[in-house]
Amino acid sequence: MQTDTPAVSTRGLTLNYGEFTALQPLDLDIGRGEIFGFLGHNGAGKTTTIRLLTTLMDPSGGTASVAGCDLAHNRIALRRAIGYLPENVRLYDTLTTRENLRFFAALSRIEDARDRVEEVMEFLGITDLADRRIATFSKGMRQRVGLAQAIVHRPQVLFLDEPTSGLDPMGVRQLREVLERLNGQGMTIFMNTHLLSEVARSCSSIGVLSHGQLVFHDTIETVNARYGSEEALEELYLSVVPDREVAA
Amino acid sequence: MTPSTILRRHALAALARERTIALVAALFAALVLVSAYLGWSATSTVDAIYASATHWFEANGKPVPPNPVTQGSPLALLRNLTIYISLIGAFSAIVIGYRMVETDRRAGVLPLIGARPLERLDYARGKVSALALAVGGLAALAGVVGAATLAILPSVHLGPGDWARLAAFFSLGWLYMMIFGLIAIGASARARSETVGLMVPTVVWLVLTFVWPALTGNILPTAAINPISALAPAPQSAIFDLSANLLGPFSLAEAYKYLGAELMGYLPDGLPPRGPVPPLVVMMLFAAGSGLYALRGCLKLDMTKGGPDA
Repeated sequence: MQTDTPAVSTRGLTLNYGEFTALQPLDLDIGRGEIFGFLGHNGAGKTTTIRLLTTLMDPSGGTASVAGCDLAHNRIALRRAIGYLPENVRLYDTLTTRENLRFFAALSRIEDARDRVEEVMEFLGITDLADRRIATFSKGMRQRVGLAQAIVHRPQVLFLDEPTSGLDPMGVRQLREVLERLNGQGMTIFMNTHLLSEVARSCSSIGVLSHGQLVFHDTIETVNARYGSEEALEELYLSVVPDREVAA
Repeated sequence: MTPSTILRRHALAALARERTIALVAALFAALVLVSAYLGWSATSTVDAIYASATHWFEANGKPVPPNPVTQGSPLALLRNLTIYISLIGAFSAIVIGYRMVETDRRAGVLPLIGARPLERLDYARGKVSALALAVGGLAALAGVVGAATLAILPSVHLGPGDWARLAAFFSLGWLYMMIFGLIAIGASARARSETVGLMVPTVVWLVLTFVWPALTGNILPTAAINPISALAPAPQSAIFDLSANLLGPFSLAEAYKYLGAELMGYLPDGLPPRGPVPPLVVMMLFAAGSGLYALRGCLKLDMTKGGPDA
């Protein structure tokens, strides 16, 4: 579903904390319908980038747009167009899955909130969890409900921060399948991850962030053509990330 | 439904499921009942003694004096409510206000709310209006118990003016509790830790309830929890004249107790308000200040934080 306007576009997007630069001027274009894998070591600035693009933080400089909505001047429309799943999502423990999802659906101002909640629960295979309180859920179950709240309003761009963190191999596989189905429906996915294997399998393009700076950005086809295998992707990652803490 | 309405309804539903809130509300209700019982019991005892005395006076052909219960304001028998509202009522409001933001932060949903199509002002409106309704529920509970107590006492007869003053008293109590609830919302939104978020409004409440009256009028803590002795005039001295003028305008608890006593009809004759600012103005200024503090806290709330370790 490629169109002229990129799903995500940044120009010189920067974040400073006093003297410390958390994100150096970032120029990035992600096409519509892509699955973008954002790699980087701990503290590289991946989460900061997502927080800026989801309007949770204000940049120190630069411009950005998501789904054609300007980050600085059209924040409400931008929020309408995005879904967000943070790392370690928890949700309201005292509420059931259905109650949590209805709350977030209502906040997203969708008209068919109740029907849509049932539809999303069925899509993600969590209908059997509908009337159970979140407090009793495992990490994987929470993650699925978290994903449900992120897509309940049919966003154009879905931001996922380390979505596979803490999931067992089965959970990772199920998540991958869900993301592929969502992408098949035209949703652009922006995913922070540590897992090179997931990037190799799921993503259509990758970016590597190191110490707040984008050091690599290309399509997965180019990477595969140039480096050939997952091991080579690891070699690429290690070559572009400076010697300090490297997570893979 | 507007976003603030959705947030308000959700906050109230979440509050209703919290054991801490249920416990605090139950404690408040119990103390209101105790207060009403004490007032009812004292009045019934006086009534019974008066009835016996009346028989004796009539049997001995002497004139029957008027019933002392009917001499004072009938509302005064609920005067202990003033103290319970200023203690457990205000503390309940602090717990409710604190939980308004803290529940979202602990649940880790602030980023999920912050990435939704609503303004921070909607969030603030939702939380403040939920607090207003929850505290209104407490005030209404106290109001119903108080009104029922007055209605079942045979010697107490309230006119329309009395009922209006009773309603005004519970509105005043609601406003007083709201001030602390708003401070709690602001503090929990601004604080970097849960502990600080609860400590700030609690310390403010303790200072205003116990420390300030001691400074402005030598009302010691034991006197501050008695509706009558809390209204003692300040000692005649240059120091208390100065402190009453300087600190009186910030003595919220004294302003509330003064207005409460005035409405309930047990304010000692000729007792001036503490300090140069009228008590109602003091309350209004505190209400405006705490409202702005809560609003600012919500508008500046860091929506990236969340989870039990935040």
